[in-house]
Amino acid sequence: MLKSAQELGKVSCHICAQVSSIEKHVCGRCHSDLHSRKTNSVQRCIALLFASVIAYIPANVWPIMVITQLGVTEGSTILGGVAIFWQMKAYPIATVIFIASVLIPGLKIIALIWLCALAKGLVKMSPKSANKIYWLTELVGRWSMVDVFVVAILVALIQMGNLMSIEPGPAAVSFILMVVLTMLAAHSFDPRIIWDRVRITSSS
Amino acid sequence: MNFLHRQTWPRLRDEGHEVACHFCDSLHEVELIEEGQSASCNTCNTLLYRNRPQSLERAVAFGLSGALFFIGMLALPFITLDAQGSATTVSMVETVVRLWLQGGRTIAITVLAFIFVLPLTILFSLLYICIPLSRGKTLPGVQLVGYLFQVIQPWIMVEVFFLGTMVSLLKLMKLADVSMGFGFWSMIALMLSLAASVSGIDRIELWDRIEVALARKDQEDAAVEGGVEC
Ligand SMILES: [Zn+2]
Ligand SMILES: [Zn+2]
Repeated sequence: MLKSAQELGKVSCHICAQVSSIEKHVCGRCHSDLHSRKTNSVQRCIALLFASVIAYIPANVWPIMVITQLGVTEGSTILGGVAIFWQMKAYPIATVIFIASVLIPGLKIIALIWLCALAKGLVKMSPKSANKIYWLTELVGRWSMVDVFVVAILVALIQMGNLMSIEPGPAAVSFILMVVLTMLAAHSFDPRIIWDRVRITSSS
Repeated sequence: MNFLHRQTWPRLRDEGHEVACHFCDSLHEVELIEEGQSASCNTCNTLLYRNRPQSLERAVAFGLSGALFFIGMLALPFITLDAQGSATTVSMVETVVRLWLQGGRTIAITVLAFIFVLPLTILFSLLYICIPLSRGKTLPGVQLVGYLFQVIQPWIMVEVFFLGTMVSLLKLMKLADVSMGFGFWSMIALMLSLAASVSGIDRIELWDRIEVALARKDQEDAAVEGGVEC
């Protein structure tokens, strides 16, 4: 295993990747602040995850849109929408929505909690697998927003007076919040602390 | 300057140039690689940098086409919905306005931010940096714009909106005849242009080029001042 920049008294800029001496606080090339590790990354990540869980529950329980059809008003939750597509035999769409809206945010929260535990040394896993998990959580985060955009298009287009109209439901806001919070949680985590722990244990 | 075969990345030749893996922080000496090749971390195998062929030209060309398709996406008809003889055609701008009027203000702001403002900022910042760089120059505030370009990238959601459109099409098809307009096709083209322009140039190469251009400007300024004094 190669020595880390930190061990060699150096710090890499998170914006322009220039390597400077660890004593410097501002990057000479792009003028951003230099941090050898993201500040309080585990605490921040856990706090943001906690907030995401609080948003995750109403996002899935409350209706994401409210449909008024011939005078009858009815709420539609995300899982309800998945069930409708499933009954229509539109299996790929049902699967896509279920994965993007329910599975990805849920798994992402669990994965980040696991990575935080790993960074604190509470659990064990090869750091390379941890890298893969972290890479995935960063990659898939945005895709959870898909159902919000579906609601956006349906609300904007289906305004047929008394025949049928769609309004956004209360879950829409909690859903957007949840996606943004999980994305922020993933960004605030620093995978290098997992490797720091590996370096310490392998050298001692 | 004599470059390696088709080698135009300026600082790749410098000795003692270092790069740290952003996953495991392993420190590497920058290795000279040919265009089209990439270098990975020796410890964890994460990609460190890629030497893209014609990087600046690519970033500029796809950035410009992206800007064009962006305007197309906003202004041209996006979807036409034909329910029992009454047809509705909306552009993306109208979609957001209707969304706002229907009480979906938070969703309207979300679409505005992730589909309009941030992609436009990415395209603008890329062009602001790369067009002058292709002549070895920089514009004022290049560091700030470069910073924006870097931090905004994870928040671009045009392709997610595209998937959302496909899903809503299937819902809408039950209710009415749906047809897609040029705004929709522009969005697909924008999505591809964005991906191609952003990945067209490696982040380290971009900053190396900015650094070289800034250093040259300082030299020229110093030379001019020296000339005045004489
Ligand atoms: Zn920097
Ligand atoms: Zn690495």
